[in-house]
Amino acid sequence: MKKLLNLFLIATMLLVAVPVVAAAPPPQDGGQDYVVVADDWLSNLADKFLGDVLAYPAITYYTNQKNSADSSYARISNSDEIEVGWKIYIPSSEEAQAYFAGQTTTVGATGDTVKIGALAPLSAPGSVTGGAAMTAAFEIAVEEINAAGGVLGKPVELVLVDTEGLPERGTAAMVRLINQEQVVGVVGEYHSAVGLTAKEVAHANGVPTVFAETWSADITRVQYPEVFRIAPLSPVVSSVDAEFVASLPGIEKVVIMSENTGYGIPAAADTEAFLAEKGIAAVSFFADLGTQDFSGIVERVKAENPDLIWVLSTGETSYNFQQQAAEGGIGPQDVPMVCNQVAADSDAYWANVPDGNLCFYRRIGLPKQKFTEATTAFEARYVEKTGKESAESYAMEAYDSLKIMAQAINEAGSTDPGAIISALENISYDGALGTITFPYGTQNPVPDDMDAMWWHQFPDPAITIRQYTEVGQADADAATVFPATYKTADPVLP
Amino acid sequence: MENASYFLLALLWILCWGTIGAVVTPRIYGRKDLDVSQAGLAGAATGAAGGPFFLIPLWYLTPELDWKWVVIPAVVIVVIFAGAFAAADPDNLCVTRGGFVATQLVNGLVIGIIYGLMALGLTLIFSILGVVSFAHGEFYMIGGMAVYYLTTIWFPGLHPLVGVLGAALLTFVIGIIFERLFLRAMNTGQVERPGEYAILVTFGLAFFLQYLTLALVGANPKKVARFVEYPAINLPSTENPALLKVTVSSIQLFDFISISTSRFTAAIIAVVLLGALMWFLYRTWIGKALRAVSQDRQAAAVAGINPNTMNTLAFGLGTMLAGLSGASLVQVFSWVPWVGIPASARSFVIIVLGGMGSLPGAFIGGLFVGIVEAIGAGCVPDPQRAASYIPAYGMLILTLVLLLKPTGLFGREL
Amino acid sequence: MNRKWLSLGLVAASVLALIAFGVVLEPYPYWMHIAIVAFFYAILASSWSLLAGYAGQFSFGHMAFMAIGAYTAGIFGKFIRLSTAPTGICSEIPLGNTWLVFLNAIPERGTVTGQNCLELGKAHMPVGTLIYQLPAMPGIVLGIIMGGIFGFLIGLLVLRLRRTYLALFTIGFSEILRTALNAEIDITQGPNGLELAPLFPKGVHLFGYYFSSVNKVPPYYVMLALFLVSMAVMYWLAASRFGLFIRSIREDEEAAAALGVHIVRYKVLVFVVTSMIAAAAGAVQAHYITVITPNILLIMQMSLVIAMAVIGGLESLIGAAIGAIIIEFALELLRTSFTIGPIVVEMTTWRLVFFGLLLMLTLRFWNNGLIHPIIQRLTRVGWAEEAVSRRVAMAEEME
Repeated sequence: MKKLLNLFLIATMLLVAVPVVAAAPPPQDGGQDYVVVADDWLSNLADKFLGDVLAYPAITYYTNQKNSADSSYARISNSDEIEVGWKIYIPSSEEAQAYFAGQTTTVGATGDTVKIGALAPLSAPGSVTGGAAMTAAFEIAVEEINAAGGVLGKPVELVLVDTEGLPERGTAAMVRLINQEQVVGVVGEYHSAVGLTAKEVAHANGVPTVFAETWSADITRVQYPEVFRIAPLSPVVSSVDAEFVASLPGIEKVVIMSENTGYGIPAAADTEAFLAEKGIAAVSFFADLGTQDFSGIVERVKAENPDLIWVLSTGETSYNFQQQAAEGGIGPQDVPMVCNQVAADSDAYWANVPDGNLCFYRRIGLPKQKFTEATTAFEARYVEKTGKESAESYAMEAYDSLKIMAQAINEAGSTDPGAIISALENISYDGALGTITFPYGTQNPVPDDMDAMWWHQFPDPAITIRQYTEVGQADADAATVFPATYKTADPVLP
Repeated sequence: MENASYFLLALLWILCWGTIGAVVTPRIYGRKDLDVSQAGLAGAATGAAGGPFFLIPLWYLTPELDWKWVVIPAVVIVVIFAGAFAAADPDNLCVTRGGFVATQLVNGLVIGIIYGLMALGLTLIFSILGVVSFAHGEFYMIGGMAVYYLTTIWFPGLHPLVGVLGAALLTFVIGIIFERLFLRAMNTGQVERPGEYAILVTFGLAFFLQYLTLALVGANPKKVARFVEYPAINLPSTENPALLKVTVSSIQLFDFISISTSRFTAAIIAVVLLGALMWFLYRTWIGKALRAVSQDRQAAAVAGINPNTMNTLAFGLGTMLAGLSGASLVQVFSWVPWVGIPASARSFVIIVLGGMGSLPGAFIGGLFVGIVEAIGAGCVPDPQRAASYIPAYGMLILTLVLLLKPTGLFGREL
Repeated sequence: MNRKWLSLGLVAASVLALIAFGVVLEPYPYWMHIAIVAFFYAILASSWSLLAGYAGQFSFGHMAFMAIGAYTAGIFGKFIRLSTAPTGICSEIPLGNTWLVFLNAIPERGTVTGQNCLELGKAHMPVGTLIYQLPAMPGIVLGIIMGGIFGFLIGLLVLRLRRTYLALFTIGFSEILRTALNAEIDITQGPNGLELAPLFPKGVHLFGYYFSSVNKVPPYYVMLALFLVSMAVMYWLAASRFGLFIRSIREDEEAAAALGVHIVRYKVLVFVVTSMIAAAAGAVQAHYITVITPNILLIMQMSLVIAMAVIGGLESLIGAAIGAIIIEFALELLRTSFTIGPIVVEMTTWRLVFFGLLLMLTLRFWNNGLIHPIIQRLTRVGWAEEAVSRRVAMAEEME
C-alpha cells in the first residue's frame, strides 16, 4: 500500500511538474510592468529596454492591450504624452518583434464571395429570442445586399455563429470566424459579456467588427481601432431613464427590479446613481434570471411605497414580475411602472402580462412617426418574414450592422482591414436606425472632456419611452411619451 | 442589517454546537451500548438548540431518543433564529409588520401545495421503482406546454380543464412509454448496475425532452389566460371591504393578506388532485397494489401483483403529477422550455427533506419549502447578495439533510 | 504477445499523431482551438469515468472541481503581484528585494469602480518600481491542490451516500458553488466572468520559433501534455491494486471491506485523484480561454461530460477520452454545417436533441458505450493475456 501511495505521489508530482517544465516562461527576458518616472519618454524607454528608439509603438500597443484587461495599466492615447506614476507595460523584444511582424500581415482575400461573420445567441443560456430575431434581420440584409449587386462585385456570404451568450463561446466563435472562415469583418451579437471577449479577438487579429446589441461601455472605451458599435451605451440609456423619471411629476422614490446578471447589476447601479443626481431615492431588488415566483418580492416592493417601479429584468422573468406585481396591487395600473424593453414585443407582452395596461417601456430606434424610408422598408420585410407585428430594436441593429459593414467594404474598395476601418470612420449610412456615423476615432480622437466610451460609437440611437394605453395595443400604436423631440402624447399616470 | 453581528453570532453558535452534538453524541451513546441510530441527528438538534446547557445533561443522562428530541430542539432553533434576526434587524418588515408575514406565509402555503403535488410524483416513482427521475422537471414543463397548445393554439376556446386533462394524459403516456422502453430493462437484467443506469438514462431523457421542446416550440415565453374569472366580491360592503375583496386579479383577505386569483385556482386544482390521488392509493385495488409493491416487492408478487405493471403505472402516475402541476401553473407563470430546471431541483430538495419514498413527507416537505422560499424572499435584508444566494438555500437544506439524516423526516431507514 | 505489442504500438502511434497534429494544424487556429477544448473534455470525461465507471461513485460535481481549479488559478492571478518596492498599504510579504503583494477586493458595481490598494500605493512608491504579475504555473498548481483538498473533503462527506443520494448531494454541492461564484462579485466578478492572463503572457520560444500569447500551438501542447500525463496516471492507477480495490468497492462494498480493502481510504483517494485531474484541466483551460464564468457549472455542462463518458464507454478510460474528443468535434461540425437559412439554423438546437437521444440509446443498448467495444476488438487477445499475466503477478505479490 505504501508503495502505491508513493507511486501515486510521484505521479501527482509528475502531473504538476511536466506542465511546469513545458509552461515555464522565458526567465526574465520577457516584458515587465514599469511605473513612469519624471523625464521618461516612450522613445527613451524603448531605447533602454528594447534597444530601439523606434520601437515605442509596441509599448503603446501592449500597454493599451493590458489596460483593456486590467484598468491599473495606463491607457496611452497619445505616444508623446505619458505621465509620471502611470503603470505601463514594456514588452519583451520578442513581443515587440511579434507586434511589428503583425503590422505587416493582411487578412487573406476571399474567393468568389466576400465573407462577413455574424455573432448571435442561438441557444440557451443566451437569449434565443434575441438571436432568432437577429438571424431573420441578417437574412434580410444579405438578400438586400446581394440583390443590389453584392460587395466589391461579389455576393456576400454570411457566416452566422452561435455564441450561446457565453463569453468563452464568444472567443471561440470569433476565432472560428476569423481564422477558419477568413471573414473580412464581423457584425452582430446581443450579449455584452460576449462582446467584451469577442472584441479582444477582433483586436488581436485586426478584423473590423461592428457590434449590434451590446451595451457595455467597456467595449468601446478601450478604443480598439477595429471595434465599432451601433447599440446605445448602457450609461447613456440609464441617464435617459433618469431624465424620464425626473420629467414625471411627484416621483420621489423609485424601486428598481433588476436581474442578477452582468447586465442587471451594473445597470441598476448606474440608474440608481443617475436618479440620485436628480434627487430621487432608489432601492434595487435583484432576482435570478429564470425566477418564476415573485410573490415575496412583490410584497416587499409594495412595502417600500414606491412612486415608480423600474423593471431591468429581461425576458420571461420581466413578464413574470410585471404580471405578479399587477396581481399584487402594484401593477402599471396602480403605480407608474416602466416595463422592461422586451415589452415592445406586443404579442408576447399581452399574452404574458394581461393586466399590464399603462406600462411604460423603453425602445431603441426611431419611433414609428419618424421612420425613415429604410426603417419602413426593413420593418415591412421583417414583419412579412417573421409574422411579428413590428421589428424589435435588436433586429434593426443587426440589420444595420451588416449593411453598414457591406457599405464600408464597398467604400474601402478592398477587403483590407485598415481601409475598411477608415471607411467606417468616415461613413454616413442611412439605415433602419437613422443615419449612422462614428464621429470619434483614430482620425478624430475623443475629446479629453468626454468619456472614452464614445470612441467608434454611433452617438444617436434614438432612445424613446413609450406607453401602452389600451389592452392589446400593438407597439406601433403605442404613444411615445419621452423625450420631447419624439413625443406624441403625454404620459398617462395611474 | 444594523447589528448583523447578533445574527452571525447566533448562527455560529448554532453551527458550532450542532456539529459538536452531531459528532460526540453517537460516541457517547455507543460507549454506553445504546441505540445510536438517532443519536447523530438528535445530538445535532439538541446541541444547536441549547449548546452545552442541553448537551451536557443529554450526555450525562442519555435518555432514549425519539422524535421529541428532534422536534422540540427544532422549535427552539427556529425561535432562536427568529429572535436573533429580530435583534439584528429591528426595522425589517418581517419583524415590524405582521400582515406582511401573514401574506408571505399564505403565499408560501399556496405555492407549497403545488410544489408538494409535483414532489409527490417524484416520491411515488422512487417508492415503487427505487429511481429518482432527473427528468421530472421536464414533465412539469411539458404539462404546461400541452395546456398552452391545446387551449390557445390548436383548439382556441377549449375549456381549460379539458386542457389540463389532456396534459395529464400526454405526460402519463410519455411516462409509460419511457418506462417500457428504458426502465423495464432494469428488472430484466439487460443493463448492468441498474441504479446508476436509471440516474443516467433519466438524465438523458431530461436533456432530450428539453431540447426537443425548444426545437419544436421555440424560446418565446408562453402563457395561458386565467382558468377561472372570479366575480367581484366585497365583504362586508363595497365601500369597506375589510373582510374580503375579490377582483379579477387578486383575492384580499382582511385587507392585508393578498393572493393572486390564478394561484388560488391552481392551489384548488392541486388540492382536488391530492384528494383524488389519496382516494386512488388508499381505496382502489390498484392503489393498494401499488403501495404493496412499494412495501415489499416479493411479497406483492406472491400475492399475484405483477410488479412490472406496477412499475409502469407508478412511473406514468408520477410523471402525470408533474405534468398536472405544470398544467395548473401555466396560467400563473410565463412558460419557456427551461422552466423545469429549477422545478426539478426544488422537487429533489422536497423529497430528500421529506424522506425519499414517503408520500406524506413529500407533501409536508412541499409546504415547508414553499414557506421557506416565501420567507426567504420576503425577509432577507441585503437585496443583492441575499437574492443571489436564493437558489443555494434549497440546495443547502438538501446537502445538510443528506449528511445528517439521509432518510429525511419521514423516510424509512436505509 | 503480438497483440500486446500491437496495442502498445497503437498507443504510441496515436500519441505521435497527436503530437504531429500540433504542427499540421498550426495554420488552422480554429481546429487547434477545438482540439484543445476536446482534450479538456477528454480529461474530464476520462477522470469522471475513473470515478463513476471504476469506483462506482456517480458524482455530478465533477465540473465543480474543475471550476475550483479554474477559479483558484484566476483569483491567484487577480490578487497577487510581485513588486520591487513595498506598497505600504496592501498586505505584503518581503522576499529579499521583492515583495509579494496581496491586493484587496474592491466592490465593482456600475460602470465606476474603485481603486485597489496597489493603485493607491503607487503614489508613495519610488519611481522606476517594477510590478510583475506572477506566471500562470503557480496558480495552476495551487488550483490543483485546492481541487485535491475539496475532493478530499467531499470524498469524506459522501462516504455513506450511494447512487441517487450521492448524485443529489453532488448536484447540491455544485449548485451551491455556482451560486457563491455568482454572488461574490468583488472576488469572482460574478456572472461577467473572471478574466485570466493567457497561459504564456509573454509568448513562448520553442525550437527557435516564437509563439505569441494568442498563438494556439503552446496551449495545444500544454493541454495535450496534461491529457497524456493524466491518462498515464489514471491507466497506471486503474491497472494497479488501487484499480482492483475501487472496482471491488463498486461491486460490493461490504464484501470488499470483509476481504480487507480499506474502503474509506480508497473511496476518498479516488475522489482526490479525479478532482485534482479535473482541477488541473480547469485551471489550464481557464488560462487558455482567459475567462471563466459560473455558467460552466450549469447542470447541462455536467451532463455533456457524462454523456461523453457514457457514449465513449463508462468503464474504459481511453474510450471515454476518445468519446469526448469525437463528440466535441461532432458537436462543432454539426454547428458548422448550417449557413443562413431557417432549417439549418435550428441545427444548433436539434444537434442537442439527437445527442440526448444517442445518450439514452447508448445507455440502454450498449452498456460499454460505442467506442470501448471497438477498442476491445482491436486489442482483445492482448488484453486477455495481459489480464492473465497481471493476475498471476498479483497472486505472486500477495504471497
